[in-house]
Amino acid sequence: MPSNSLYGKRKRPFDTFLKVLINTAAAVTVVVLLGIILYILFNGISYISWKFISTAYSETNDALKGILPMIINTMYIVVITLLISAPIGISSAIYLTQYAKQGRLVRAIRFTTEILSGIPSIIFGLFGYTVFCILFRLQTSILAGCLTMTLCILPTIIRTTEESLLSVPSSYKEGAMALGAGKLRVVMGIVLPCAMPGVLTAVILAMGRIVGESAALLFTSGLSYNMPKGFLKQIFSSGRTLTLHLYQTAREATSPDAMHIAFATASVLLILVFLLNRLAGLLSRALRKG
Amino acid sequence: MSIAMNSAENALKIQKKNNVKKGLAIVLGLISVLAFFLPYIQFVFKNTTYVVSAFQLATIRGFRVHGPALSGLVTIPFLTRISVVAGVLLPIAGIVLLFLKRPVMAGTAFVLSGITPLIVLITTSSIQTAVTQLNISKISIAYLWPSIYMLAGGIVCAILSIWTQGTEKLAESIFLVFSCVSVGSVILITVYIFAAGSPAILQIGLGQFLFGRTWNAEAGVFGILPLILSSIAGTVGAILLGVPVGILTAVFLAETAKPRLARLVHPAIELLAGIPSVIYGFFGMLVIVPAIRSFPPFRNHTIGDSLLASILILAIMVLPTIVSVTETSLKAVPQAYREASLALGATPTATIFKVSIPAAKSGILAGVILGVGRAIGETMAVIMVAGNVANMPSILGTVRLLTTGIAMEMSYASGLHRQALFTIGLVLFVFIMIVNISFTYISKKGVQMDAE
Repeated sequence: MPSNSLYGKRKRPFDTFLKVLINTAAAVTVVVLLGIILYILFNGISYISWKFISTAYSETNDALKGILPMIINTMYIVVITLLISAPIGISSAIYLTQYAKQGRLVRAIRFTTEILSGIPSIIFGLFGYTVFCILFRLQTSILAGCLTMTLCILPTIIRTTEESLLSVPSSYKEGAMALGAGKLRVVMGIVLPCAMPGVLTAVILAMGRIVGESAALLFTSGLSYNMPKGFLKQIFSSGRTLTLHLYQTAREATSPDAMHIAFATASVLLILVFLLNRLAGLLSRALRKG
Repeated sequence: MSIAMNSAENALKIQKKNNVKKGLAIVLGLISVLAFFLPYIQFVFKNTTYVVSAFQLATIRGFRVHGPALSGLVTIPFLTRISVVAGVLLPIAGIVLLFLKRPVMAGTAFVLSGITPLIVLITTSSIQTAVTQLNISKISIAYLWPSIYMLAGGIVCAILSIWTQGTEKLAESIFLVFSCVSVGSVILITVYIFAAGSPAILQIGLGQFLFGRTWNAEAGVFGILPLILSSIAGTVGAILLGVPVGILTAVFLAETAKPRLARLVHPAIELLAGIPSVIYGFFGMLVIVPAIRSFPPFRNHTIGDSLLASILILAIMVLPTIVSVTETSLKAVPQAYREASLALGATPTATIFKVSIPAAKSGILAGVILGVGRAIGETMAVIMVAGNVANMPSILGTVRLLTTGIAMEMSYASGLHRQALFTIGLVLFVFIMIVNISFTYISKKGVQMDAE
């Protein structure tokens, strides 16, 4: 810096200190993140094999240490939860953005959506257990888990879909209306297709949340690791997801072998979450480009 | 086609279609009324089978059930009676309203009539409990087709009667009903958490429960003061560590970093938010806990699983929330503020700390509160590092938080113990509600300030 510069004249050690602090904080955040991811992947990725992904699991039989049932259960929960929650969430977003007039009802819907997104998953788990498992007599089953997860992810879907519906230029709507299209036609034919990348982002974010969820499923979908016996039967029986499998194996691990299973499961989870995260990122970029 | 048709003909055709819909709704509604007198529900207590119609469910006093040792009158819950009666009155009301040309109100009545079997389903579980208390183990309650018809028929009737107002109206009603799901579920969650949580308070006593210092399930002593204090200590610690780092990281992203670097770091923060909490817990269990255990000054004072470990993990977990909310609100600060400050001769760093951050204050506060909510509610990560012994919180000692208290014992608890766990859930719920509502209040205030 030249000596006649305005900044050069007065040294400001406190400014420098603050700048260093800012950079350190950012570095700490990044290092922690990379540390966690690399630690898990370094220790786990070498134990991921086709056999690990494609065999059943048994606590007693050493030959059966795969995670196939957990993958299937996770898929069940993701698909069924989305089948229930996506129509509800997207319809709510459509109502809130396209139909609703500002009023008490809309305020109530927004307020409760906000409340719902702040409720911790263990509370959802307790609620799902008392209502779906006991009152609706579903026992601990995948379906009970799905109904519980529906409540968990509803706010995510509603809010993200709402944002993307609002980002559709109103001239599109006006154009369609000027051509004589009814409101439903405008919403279904113009607004929703235009907002599709955003709606998909919402769905993928929700998928990430379901894959990573554990506390809400602990009491509702349970911890059974049996291989699914039939499509319908599995929906009404208990099954643990990948996250719960990691939790259970990590807690009970006494031997290095058991630890390897936990590491490999954690790596599979991380890779899944990472892929979903990237997909959501790509889609929202596509939306922004329009 | 419709263009060719003249409007009078068209109106006539629509009228005809509407009459068909209306007629169908009335017929289906009448079947619902008829179903009131048909076999509705089947109870099997051991070997005795009772098939009861909805009419009987509303009028009989109860079942006299003879168990192996005890026998008693199992009464039918009052709410069951009410909902069964509503199940027949509502379709009648719907039909009358259709004749009075109030299709939307009729639709509401029909939907409500469709909900009644669900309420019956929920309330009859108390019959099951009552029969279980008579030592009868083989109980099955089955719903026969009239009850299922009431559910489906009510919904179909509602759709038909609103459809007479046109497809547009029908679509709007369907969207509206779906968007009320979140309202309904919040109400239901609140009601159930309170209903499940209050019996234990009545039995143990509120003061005893909240301020009792020992939690010993075997001895039947349920005091959750250690859990409450540990939760608060964990949250406060995590916030004290996470907030400065989070705010400074957000400043880095929003103000000082070169755009290219910010574009690399930003997705990383997003990814941090997406990592499942079990993985954080796993990492904490394998890295943070052993590190604390073997850290020279702490050695021999701790087993590693401790409040400190929970605080560290929670601090990492609240980081992404705080960073992203703070970043958004910093970016919302008008550029003119910064330019004015710089023009007055303030250095860029002074501008950040004296202008940008104060201007984004309410947004940052909202982020902190959101972080508090996340920290209080976190379960699975903490359960793996906290040690889970219900001690009074000390930084290197094992602790049990409200959330982990529930998750640890839920699988095997029964009786008062289980009810006490639900009460912990209620306490947690009240905490979260306070945090949530203050978040809504503050973020609304922030919006108002920005608008000014």
